[in-house]
Amino acid sequence: MSLLDIRNLSIDIATAQGKVRVIDKVSLTIVDGSIHGLVGESGSGKSLIAKAILGLHNASWTVTADRMFLGTTDLTKLSSKNRRRIMRKEIAMIFQHPRSYLDPSKKILPQIREVLPTISIKRRLLNIIKRSPEPSPRLRIKELLHKVGIQNDRIVLASYPYELSEGICQKVMIAMAIANNPSLIIADEPTTAMEPVTQEQIFRLLYKLNQLNNTTILLLSNNFGSIRDLSDYITLIYCGQTVESGSYKQIINSPMHPYTEAMIKTILDFDENISHKSQLYTLPGNIPSANQLPIGCRLGPRCPRAQRTCVINPEPLNLKGHMISCHFPSTDKN
Amino acid sequence: MLNYISRRLNLLLINAFILTIIAFLLAQWSNGQSLTDTNYIIDYVKYISAILQGDWGSSIDNRLILQQGLTAFASTLELCIISFITAALIAIPLGIFAGFYPNHFLDYCIMTIALIGLAIPIFWLAVITTMLPRLTGITLPIDGGISPIFEVPVVSGFMLIDTLLAEDLYQLNAFYDRLAHLFLPSIVLSFFLIAEIIRLTRRSITTVMKSNYIKAAYANGLSKTRLVLHHVLKNALPSIIHQLRLQLSTIISFAMVIEIVFSLPGAGVWLLNSIKEEDYLALPAAVLIISGFILLFSIFIDIFLMIISPLKRKSLYVD
Amino acid sequence: MLINYEFNEDKIQSPLQYTWSIFKRNNIAIAAMWVAIILVMIVIFAGYILPNTPTTQVKQLLLPPYWIDGGVSDHFLGTDDLGRDTLTRLIQGIQLTLGGALLLTLIVSILGTIIGATAALTKGLKASILHHFLDALLIIPTLLSALILIAIFGPSYENCLIAVSLSLLPQFIRAIYINIENELNKQYIIALRLDGAANIRLLRFGIFPNILESMVSLLNRIFSLAILEISTLGFLGFGTQFWDVELGALIASSIGLIFSSPWLVLFPGIAIFIIVLVFNVFTEGLRHAVIEGEDE
Ligand SMILES: Nc1ncnc2c1ncn2[C@@H]1O[C@H](COP(=O)(O)OP(=O)(O)OP(=O)(O)O)[C@@H](O)[C@H]1O
Ligand code: SF4
Ligand SMILES: [Mg+2]
Repeated sequence: MSLLDIRNLSIDIATAQGKVRVIDKVSLTIVDGSIHGLVGESGSGKSLIAKAILGLHNASWTVTADRMFLGTTDLTKLSSKNRRRIMRKEIAMIFQHPRSYLDPSKKILPQIREVLPTISIKRRLLNIIKRSPEPSPRLRIKELLHKVGIQNDRIVLASYPYELSEGICQKVMIAMAIANNPSLIIADEPTTAMEPVTQEQIFRLLYKLNQLNNTTILLLSNNFGSIRDLSDYITLIYCGQTVESGSYKQIINSPMHPYTEAMIKTILDFDENISHKSQLYTLPGNIPSANQLPIGCRLGPRCPRAQRTCVINPEPLNLKGHMISCHFPSTDKN
Repeated sequence: MLNYISRRLNLLLINAFILTIIAFLLAQWSNGQSLTDTNYIIDYVKYISAILQGDWGSSIDNRLILQQGLTAFASTLELCIISFITAALIAIPLGIFAGFYPNHFLDYCIMTIALIGLAIPIFWLAVITTMLPRLTGITLPIDGGISPIFEVPVVSGFMLIDTLLAEDLYQLNAFYDRLAHLFLPSIVLSFFLIAEIIRLTRRSITTVMKSNYIKAAYANGLSKTRLVLHHVLKNALPSIIHQLRLQLSTIISFAMVIEIVFSLPGAGVWLLNSIKEEDYLALPAAVLIISGFILLFSIFIDIFLMIISPLKRKSLYVD
Repeated sequence: MLINYEFNEDKIQSPLQYTWSIFKRNNIAIAAMWVAIILVMIVIFAGYILPNTPTTQVKQLLLPPYWIDGGVSDHFLGTDDLGRDTLTRLIQGIQLTLGGALLLTLIVSILGTIIGATAALTKGLKASILHHFLDALLIIPTLLSALILIAIFGPSYENCLIAVSLSLLPQFIRAIYINIENELNKQYIIALRLDGAANIRLLRFGIFPNILESMVSLLNRIFSLAILEISTLGFLGFGTQFWDVELGALIASSIGLIFSSPWLVLFPGIAIFIIVLVFNVFTEGLRHAVIEGEDE
């Protein structure tokens, strides 16, 4: 069962040089209750996809999608008001630079209180009858903060965002995200600018959420190594194009796209014997800038297997849920 | 916080000192005295003590400059305050709307009005407005501050208040008469103010709207009204107020020009007449009164902003 | 390597070209730019294009404009109470007002940038004294300081220009100072400093490109204020004397005729309005282009 189903999502951004297609027909199917890793280099367009899912685009973007379903509701057909309502209930986002996403002129407490689900009158009446009062907002906030690993909740709640470190802000964002028990959490590089211990804490937190609450998580990252072991499914994108997508096993054990292969090779394995100061493996060249994208398969100029046909966009190949966009996928299975 | 206030007060003292020096030089010049290098410090001290004792000298027609200046400036302030309140009531909602829906059709209309308002020379608009009553047939006074039949004793200098205080003399007639006299001038001034406030509000709101925390609030599914009231305004208002405070001296300049066109007694008419009669003692008095007011007001606003805006407080920690 | 150069046909534009290419899309701003250019041309070549000499008086007094009954084509905008050609006087007024404002903006911006930049880059007592002195000057309303200067130096067109520039200069210095100061605190300037950039280089490559947007709107602001103030002083009778008459004085001299021939008051006002409007639209377009160029 898929919770979020996106087919052929494209984003064009109007710039002075004309429209640039920064996201080119990306498809994403997120299975209910899974952790889905979306991996791509910096600038490949991960944050753009996340923002498009939430409808947070400004006027200079044109977002088109053949299909964008959350469960059974079609997100593209909703009015902005309804979409906000759904978002409040179903989706929560953890942003990349958490501090800038917290209102600088307000303390943390009112900001969290604002996103707490409102208790309906009916439920309140029922509670009065049953004599089991709902916990006070303050208590619930405290509970939330403890859940995300903030112990000194009183100090944090009485602070302004600029008084807190990025790590704490990130945890606050996560607390706000899980306050509504959303069915989908989109975490956009939740661990950038954090030291490994906090990174580990946050990943463990997300994992726990997934295991205990059955929350689906879309995890965006530019570090293949750090999230691969967390994810049930992995999608790789390069320059706004889906490269390969499949379950953890499919991607790790039988990568078929040259980009994926390269990514896997770049992960350092400590078991492997690497001779001292030997050259590490990378693809030649750099990720092209948004106004100089190659036509056809965008990996073309850097791809070791590229041939003439690669100037035409490859049709995605579907092998039992394993999607590859390449004219020449590797077939040697080991 | 205390640190900040004391620093502002420090600044106040230094600025006041510079102002008194300017006023002192002006006064010396207007008395026709040239500075000799031996006694200018003594002269300055004498001047300041005279000023502090309220002895500001008297004008050619033997009226006390201090009283004259204060009454005139109070009348100017009255015009400014009335116009500002009207303008703020009209312009802030328009500016918020324009900032909230940029590139909307109405946004273009609002911004066009603002652009026109800023481009029209204010004295010309005033001159044109003096034609209005004759052209439209509405009877509205176009010169003077109040009809000469009323002799309102000066109490606060704000004539609207004074007319109310003198209620036993003329009932409310004097009050209405004063209002009628202020009507056209304040329309002209608020025209400019509306344009300015719309522009500032819109700019401030669009900056806030672009920021990430508004996107986050939107993603959290907050309703639009809540978004505006709790997040956008809270962050946009301090910068609007700050910008307006920087405009204060322009506003007063414009008010004085309008007064001159409508012969509305006030600082503008007072200064103009004094210069025409070569009664230059009014100049240092005007510097002290008007700039002194602006100085105090600015510092008051600064401290007020400090209290309402945590962001401003944050910048304190930095330096 | 497999880099295919054929794909990189688009050159990366320089920021200036980029800004220009955004600006070009804004039709209104382009139109405003052309009108502004024409106005500047009028200022420069006013001596050659005057239809009549400003002081010749004809017998027909208070002629209405050409398109109103009674107007004649010799005097396209009519004549005033002394029989002088309105169009000629208007063009001369534009020359004095706009020309004065342009000159003044130029001088104020050059002086202001030098002083402001020096103040921002030096620390210590000198900067602090300048700072406070500017603060004090800033709280004197521009009209008041212009009046003071004119009272001291006597009314004339030149003195009016000097008075207005002296009253606008503190504003400009202060704004430049604050902008540069803000930029100086940013990390990339520290990086430039560590690279060994001297002050001039720091200003040229580090700071100015980043305060361009505020510079544009500041220049616009100073220019608009200059126009409005020159004409206000002229209107109050402190500007030009006798025959050469700028727009504000033109209005003042015709106030008495406002009902008998209102166009004498209307035209100069409209001229001021159009000048300020056109330059505003032009610089707004420019500012937007700069911002957008930075956004993307
Ligand atoms: N408003 C915009 N206008 C033009 N181009 C944009 C805009 N926003 C993003 N881009 C382009 O889209 C591309 C993708 O940006 P995005 O922020 O989604 O990358 P990312 O994958 O999230 O990278 P990172 O790992 O650094 O977060 C970038 O190359 C950027 O140049
Ligand atoms: S389509 Fe061609 S260029 Fe693209 S990844 Fe496959 S082989 Fe390489
Ligand atoms: Mg990103």
